[in-house]
Amino acid sequence: MRRRLLLGGVALTAVALGLVATLVRGPGPDAANAASHREAPLISLDPAADITDFFMFRSYEPGQENKVVLIMNTQPGEEPSAGPNYFNFDPSVKYSFGIDNNGDGKSDISIDFQFRNEIRGVVDALGLPLSYVGNVPPGSGSVIPPITRLDGKGSEGLGLRQRFQVSMTGGSTLGDEKTLGRDLIAVPSNVGPRTMPNYASLRSQGVYNLGNGVRVFAGQAEDPFYIDLGGVFDTLNFRRPAPLLSDAEDANDNVNPFGIDMLSGFNVQTIAIEMPISMLTGAFQTLGGYAYTSRPNLSIRSHWSHWHHNQTTFGHDGRYVQVQRLANPLINEVIIGTKDKDYWNSVPPWEEGQFLDYYLNPRLALALQLVFGAPAATSNRTDLVNALLKYGPGDPNNSDLLRLNTTVAPVPLAQQKRLTVLAGDNAGWPNGRRPRDDVTDIAVRLVGGPTYIALKAGDGVNKDDAPLSTSFPFLSLPSDGRNRSFPHVNP
Amino acid sequence: MKARILIAVTAAVGAAAVLLLGGALRTSQGAAGAPAAVQPTLPAVHGTEAEVRKQQAAVRTDPTDVRALTALGFAYEQRMRETADPTYLTKADGVLHRALKLQPSSADAVVGLGSLALSRHQFGRAVVLGRRAQRLAPGAGLPFGIAGDGLLELGRYRAAFKSFTDMVHAEPGSSAYARISYARELIGNRTGAEAAMRLALESSQGQAEPSAWARTELGKLLFGSGHARAAERQYRIALLELPGYPQALDSLARAEAALGHRQRAVRLATRAVETVPLPQFVTTLADLLQADGRRAEARQEYALIAVVERLLRANGVRSDLEIAQFYIDHGIRLPHALALARRARAERPSILGDDVLGWALTRNGHCAEGLRWAKHSLRLGTRDATMFFHRGMAERCAGHTQAARAWFDRALALNPHFSPIWSPVARRYS
Repeated sequence: MRRRLLLGGVALTAVALGLVATLVRGPGPDAANAASHREAPLISLDPAADITDFFMFRSYEPGQENKVVLIMNTQPGEEPSAGPNYFNFDPSVKYSFGIDNNGDGKSDISIDFQFRNEIRGVVDALGLPLSYVGNVPPGSGSVIPPITRLDGKGSEGLGLRQRFQVSMTGGSTLGDEKTLGRDLIAVPSNVGPRTMPNYASLRSQGVYNLGNGVRVFAGQAEDPFYIDLGGVFDTLNFRRPAPLLSDAEDANDNVNPFGIDMLSGFNVQTIAIEMPISMLTGAFQTLGGYAYTSRPNLSIRSHWSHWHHNQTTFGHDGRYVQVQRLANPLINEVIIGTKDKDYWNSVPPWEEGQFLDYYLNPRLALALQLVFGAPAATSNRTDLVNALLKYGPGDPNNSDLLRLNTTVAPVPLAQQKRLTVLAGDNAGWPNGRRPRDDVTDIAVRLVGGPTYIALKAGDGVNKDDAPLSTSFPFLSLPSDGRNRSFPHVNP
Repeated sequence: MKARILIAVTAAVGAAAVLLLGGALRTSQGAAGAPAAVQPTLPAVHGTEAEVRKQQAAVRTDPTDVRALTALGFAYEQRMRETADPTYLTKADGVLHRALKLQPSSADAVVGLGSLALSRHQFGRAVVLGRRAQRLAPGAGLPFGIAGDGLLELGRYRAAFKSFTDMVHAEPGSSAYARISYARELIGNRTGAEAAMRLALESSQGQAEPSAWARTELGKLLFGSGHARAAERQYRIALLELPGYPQALDSLARAEAALGHRQRAVRLATRAVETVPLPQFVTTLADLLQADGRRAEARQEYALIAVVERLLRANGVRSDLEIAQFYIDHGIRLPHALALARRARAERPSILGDDVLGWALTRNGHCAEGLRWAKHSLRLGTRDATMFFHRGMAERCAGHTQAARAWFDRALALNPHFSPIWSPVARRYS
């Protein structure tokens, strides 16, 4: 997550809602440029390349248990009603999953998603300043029918449509880049019931079966991350003093005992792929995965003649520069020091050794100790290093990857425990990560150490307000723009 | 007659003051003598005013809150962009310095001050601050951008280009791509500049002002290559996406004039000036009025620009180069303009400085020296119709009629509508 607010060492996650949510640690404010004709914008963030969450787990959809699912969410804090453009993927960004399948900490397989825009339909023909339009005049369905299809009849109102391509390099492709799917259509933002009367149908049309047991999806979803953002950010100002959760509250995954989920009602852009475990694993049965975004490298003297509008090469040399990476949740926010946050994002996960001090002496533990007065494990945390950066205590490499032991059987959604391993459910974080997992509470307890596990420390938010799905792509439908509500504002 | 001019000037000055001082004086608009028509309609960008109030409250609660002080500084700078009220720069300066004093290692505060230095055209200082921020936040892109912008205006192109390349590697995105675009434009690669700006545009989607800004810059690149119609289309899209965006209004005015719609052009330029009285917007309006033969109205803008300049200077902004160019283009206070240009060139030894100084010398009859600077200004291989035209005028002044004609032809071939005032002159002499 590149949701950086600078709050000493305890910055967790923040939706870039405010104007100056992030300063230097982001594309940040742009210089009111020197040359008088180039007064560049002061604030320029990069939400399109901003990864909010990465999930990797064995599918718990009935009948699909031999598959691995990878999900990357981007664009924090999408306000559902933000028309007329709503939210899209960025055609200049390459969205990738990296997979280590031989336990050396380095990526062996990459799965890349790239998008392109189509301006089309009645919106284009009539020159309307809207991306999506439908059911005009209301109820007639004749002039401009509602958007009920991604293509063909019923898709006339999709003025801006995004197509994408999925390719895979490494693994069973033996190093060559192989296109898994092309000209697939991303599901548009959920505008509202007049324009899109059956959004669930659009969502299911956007799930593509690419053969060989591979399914993909790209589109909007409700942000599955749940956290008392304001409480956590206000120097761990949870809405109840320690001891935090009672035994009963802690065991109840379906009620928020005291926290406020400040991300409820917001959407994200999501990219998901499901593929057979055997397509990814070799002899080694544990996968190490991460998500990353990159943008074209651009030099001043370059071969601009290669520019093709639809290919979005823009005269760059074909090389990409990593903008951001994410494997284990909250690393950039909780573990890495302010000074190194940007640098951390620019290096590959297998160069994590240089940040080892941050893991061994976690600032979050110190902050917990200061705030709650209960002793936390603040130094020599080889346990954290082993859990987050290694395949086991004997692993000589340090690589920030989300590790998934593919021999652990998946747990059906209804039986999943938000506290995962702390509650006897070994199919969740840090063994991979599922949307259900309460990574905030787990992180606070793991980083705080035994005292905080005993205290049942947590932010008091135990579930997301929107129900997760039991089938691919597993996330809730996005809130629609017309009827959006923010339960934490108007409970 | 004289009295009437005086009243007009007073009105213009009043308007400028009201516009520049923003909301506080808006209620006393009538008293200030501003025409009732002057109603700044700023595009609603980001809710910056709300952000200012929020951070001010945070600072009141805790005057040592470095994060709030820094955020307030950035919000003030953004307000400056939105209103052209330079007093925001002074305010930003105050809070950013307080933040830095409380936390000398704050990269954010240093970047904020670097950005401020650029706004005030203190380029050497911007370079120092940019470099300092690089050390405080390795891997961040913006410090490279700030140092690079400063180096560029100091004419240190090799170092500036390296800084921009480093910026792309540190943090590829719209800010970095826009700078690569500018660098490509400077070395005469207009197609590459366009491609990079398209990438900047694509990378800023979903963000109202950065997106409108990149689109407007793309339009200017197209316009500069003689594609007025394509440019006009980009400006109109920018205005659809961010209604009332003054940068797009100003550029659209030039495009409309190029397409022969003079009345519409003047109306658009007037709207831009009424929204944000930046010197370059006033220049556009004055150019259009003058080209349209409305000299008296153009002269009101002369008065306005003098006021703008004084207000800018009072808040630490040096704008000698822009003011010099304005005076020279409009044939007013030529010796004074030359002095300004010399001073500006010394502080800002960029090709822009060379170009304006050369132009000032030529227009003051110092032909040989003018030609030397005109040649120097084209040393990077920049393809810019106005600079070509200035070179042509310098050649002509020096008696090189053949060479002059070739430069006029080049200027017109690149962009037949490069200036409402000078394009016709180039045509006449070519």
